[in-house]
Amino acid sequence: MPELDSVHTLSLRAALTRGAQPVLAGDIIAGFVPRISLSILCCTSRITSRPKSASGAYLVRRLVIVELSFGDYLRLRVFSVGVSETRYQPLQLTPRWGLKAGAYRYKFPVASSPDFGFRLAADHLQPDDMTDYADSTHELSPLQTELQVALNLIPTHTWYANASGAVIFVNERGSDYLGLSKAHHLRCGIEIGATWDSHLAFLHADDHEETRRVWSGCLGNGAAGQMCFRVRDAAGEYHWFLSRVEPVWASNGTLLHWIEINLGIEDSKEAEFYLAEDRPATMPTSLSMYRDLQESKSRLEEAQRVAHVGHWEWDLETDAVIWSDETYRIFGLNPQELPMDLAAVRSMVHPDDRESLYQGVDEDLIAGVRPDAEFRIVLPSGEVRTVHALTSKRWSTVAGDSKRDATGQPYKLFGTVQDITERRRTEEDLQRTKIDLSEVTQELRREQAYLADAQSLAHIGSWACNFLTGKIFHLSDETFRLYGFDPAQGPIPFQSLYNATHPEDEPALREKFYGAIHSRSDYDLEYRICRPDGTIRFLRSLGHHNPSQEIGEYIGLTMDITEQKHAEQERERLHQLEADLAHINRLNMMGELTAALAHEIKQPIAASITSANACLRWLIHDPPNLERARAAAARMERESSRASDVINTLRSFYKKGLPPERRVVDVKEIVREMTVLLRNEAVRYSITIKCELDADTPNILGDPVQLQQVFMNLMLNAIEAMKDTGGELTIRSCLNRGKQLTISVSDTGVGLPAESIERMFDAFHTTKPQGTGMGLAITRSIVESHGGRVWATPNQGAGATFHFTLPVEAEARA
Amino acid sequence: MKSANVPTVFIIDDDSGMRQSIQDLVESVGLRAESFATGEEFLSKRRTGDPSCLVLDVRLPEMSGLDFQRQLADTDIQIPIIFITAHGDISMSVRALKSGAVEFLTKPFRDQDLLDASQQALLRDRAARKQQAEVRDLKDRYHTLSPREREVMTLVVSGLLNKQIAYEIGATEATVKIHRGHVMQKMQAGSIVELVRMADKLKLCTP
Repeated sequence: MPELDSVHTLSLRAALTRGAQPVLAGDIIAGFVPRISLSILCCTSRITSRPKSASGAYLVRRLVIVELSFGDYLRLRVFSVGVSETRYQPLQLTPRWGLKAGAYRYKFPVASSPDFGFRLAADHLQPDDMTDYADSTHELSPLQTELQVALNLIPTHTWYANASGAVIFVNERGSDYLGLSKAHHLRCGIEIGATWDSHLAFLHADDHEETRRVWSGCLGNGAAGQMCFRVRDAAGEYHWFLSRVEPVWASNGTLLHWIEINLGIEDSKEAEFYLAEDRPATMPTSLSMYRDLQESKSRLEEAQRVAHVGHWEWDLETDAVIWSDETYRIFGLNPQELPMDLAAVRSMVHPDDRESLYQGVDEDLIAGVRPDAEFRIVLPSGEVRTVHALTSKRWSTVAGDSKRDATGQPYKLFGTVQDITERRRTEEDLQRTKIDLSEVTQELRREQAYLADAQSLAHIGSWACNFLTGKIFHLSDETFRLYGFDPAQGPIPFQSLYNATHPEDEPALREKFYGAIHSRSDYDLEYRICRPDGTIRFLRSLGHHNPSQEIGEYIGLTMDITEQKHAEQERERLHQLEADLAHINRLNMMGELTAALAHEIKQPIAASITSANACLRWLIHDPPNLERARAAAARMERESSRASDVINTLRSFYKKGLPPERRVVDVKEIVREMTVLLRNEAVRYSITIKCELDADTPNILGDPVQLQQVFMNLMLNAIEAMKDTGGELTIRSCLNRGKQLTISVSDTGVGLPAESIERMFDAFHTTKPQGTGMGLAITRSIVESHGGRVWATPNQGAGATFHFTLPVEAEARA
Repeated sequence: MKSANVPTVFIIDDDSGMRQSIQDLVESVGLRAESFATGEEFLSKRRTGDPSCLVLDVRLPEMSGLDFQRQLADTDIQIPIIFITAHGDISMSVRALKSGAVEFLTKPFRDQDLLDASQQALLRDRAARKQQAEVRDLKDRYHTLSPREREVMTLVVSGLLNKQIAYEIGATEATVKIHRGHVMQKMQAGSIVELVRMADKLKLCTP
């Protein structure tokens, strides 16, 4: 029992005036105030001023505050006592303290304080109860005085007895209950040499024997005890009380006194738990109490069932084992199905856990710690469940779990058992989830690494930023690298990225870029940058604006398309080269044909001139022969047009670098033109050109000049093949399934060279002394660019046939 | 119907425009003209009686103009030829002219050149035809001579004296004189010189 002297001091008044916390943590006298209160604080406040008493002695005033809280309300008693320095006598407080002498009870709401204690609102202070403390000549030790003060503050019946067990003091509440007079020695705590059992006079006669047994046991063992008895009140009626008595030991080991607290168990719900626990069936006859007990017991059972917590008690002396209903259920049995004993319990513990369980409990008990075990049990159904059992040592009947005999050895073990199978499972699941989560995290990390690798491989960087504010939210490592920065160097400002833009591309970029930002649209831009090391790279940037985001906020990708650009340039160059070659091919063909072409042009021109002359001669006749002149003029016109047509056809051949165009082309017309151009060349070598074009030959989509070139190449080849022999050149066409036009050019010449039939379409492959080897290669290139193919077959008789296909477009047919 | 005396210009050119133009031009100067696309067509349809000439394109589909010229010569068809070509070369024209072509014109040609060439060809044809008629007449006369008379004529135009002739044929000088008189009479020769010229035309060679 702590001495009240040792508690902190405080000026209560000052505290109240400030409205601050008026209480400090004192030592809690919980030892003799069981669970009634949630918190009990005690503090004394020593007033430093020492006013002189009438007798001239200096007084030390003390304020003792005991706070007891119940639920939402705090009951506060302020007790003030003045003791002279020399005599330590209770004195009345003077009014100038603002507090009347005596004890006050205040009620006020408890406002939880952020740190510790309670905030007292002065407005709520209301004098409630005032007890007059008569001056006493009896000399009390300061300890006794303060003990009495403390006990008076306890809102239940309490008393203390001297070491021999004689009751000396009954607190106010107790005294009031008993109807003791104001000057009663028990009220004032004055020892009158009473016997250890003198207080039995207040008890019901039926309870004397039991009380005497327990009390004498306590005195004999110096141990705490607990009992129930009925106490007579001032009106002569008896009420049930639960009584708990504790010895108070001095630090030198001598027994100072006993303190007993009596709880009115008729109106105190809390007490029922302890009653139910201790004396289930042996309660006295009070019906209401019995009903309360039953009710509280069933609540306990209910609570246990809901919580899956059962309790048990093992009497070490009798080896009797008592189980609560829930304990039975936990072990898979019907409540109170069969009497329990140790062997039965032992048999239900899982064999693997049996030895370690009992060994562990023994060791804990010897070491003086609460056994706390988790083990598996086997239910009668064979199911294995995990339970958690607490077997803590408790020395009080209320919270105790083992009862100790006089030798200090526990004679009863008490404990709880809880089915934690589900909880364990949940925990395991949780653990698994944690593992899963960590796997997911790892997976994410891996994915991230893959992504980074992929970005690095593809030279694609991702980013997110606000272009207007220049704030960068995300910049992948690859983006750093694309701009020639080291990702390890940390964040780089937006401006330094933008400034990398090639000066030639910057104006166009800026225009498109801000256009996109202000119209809040996505963009796809290509531009060059100058890296810090001076290299120039082509970048393509795709930005996506999320309308829900702020203006200027974009996420996107930036990719390095330098290689692609170079490839494009290279491809462009190759295309140009191909076009040049095609042009050279045409020039070559024209060169070969110069004589024939000249003839083809001269012929109509000559005819035209001759006609002009004839016309003039008809006109100078007398009279002029106008009819013949008109006919000659008409012929003139016709022949001039013919010459012009030929020249036009030729001119397109000579033109260079025209981009290929696609338009509706009349294949028959092209064949006709080419036949005209080549007619003389053919005549020269006694070759006849025959056209066997299908009347339904459709128009196709294509480039006319390129198609002319294809015909020219194939027809010249055919002529070439028949140069020495003369022969027949036949052009045929046929439509396959309405989708494809196949055109074949046959000759009756030398036929295909067997050894090079596969390579004849390759570039630079030639069998002619003056050939460039480009003719057929260009032919194939053109045909394939039109979506067709070209091949050659030997003829049944002499010569060879070259075939090529052209797709027939629906629109071209219309 | 054209009179038999109207000279005709034949044209062979595979190019119809060219063909028609030339025909028109020739007709515009009052000559008759007939045109054909191929040599074969010409051979099957031509009229032979009148003086005529041939305007021949060098390049023809199946047989070149030069080859056709040779074919005509081989079959003893005599007609003056004017070659026309769009791109003639020297060797080609030399060959043509050597084979008796009247002219070798390159298209486009001046109309007058063609017309002049045509006229010239027609004249030549006319002359040729006249010569041919004379020879034919002489031959008829010559065929009236007896074998001894033909023998004497040949020796006379070769410049032998009667005495020599008599010696040659083993007859008397008087007999020779009689044969010689018959020859002069039958051949309608006024003088020995004339007879010599006739013999020349008849290509009588001195044995």
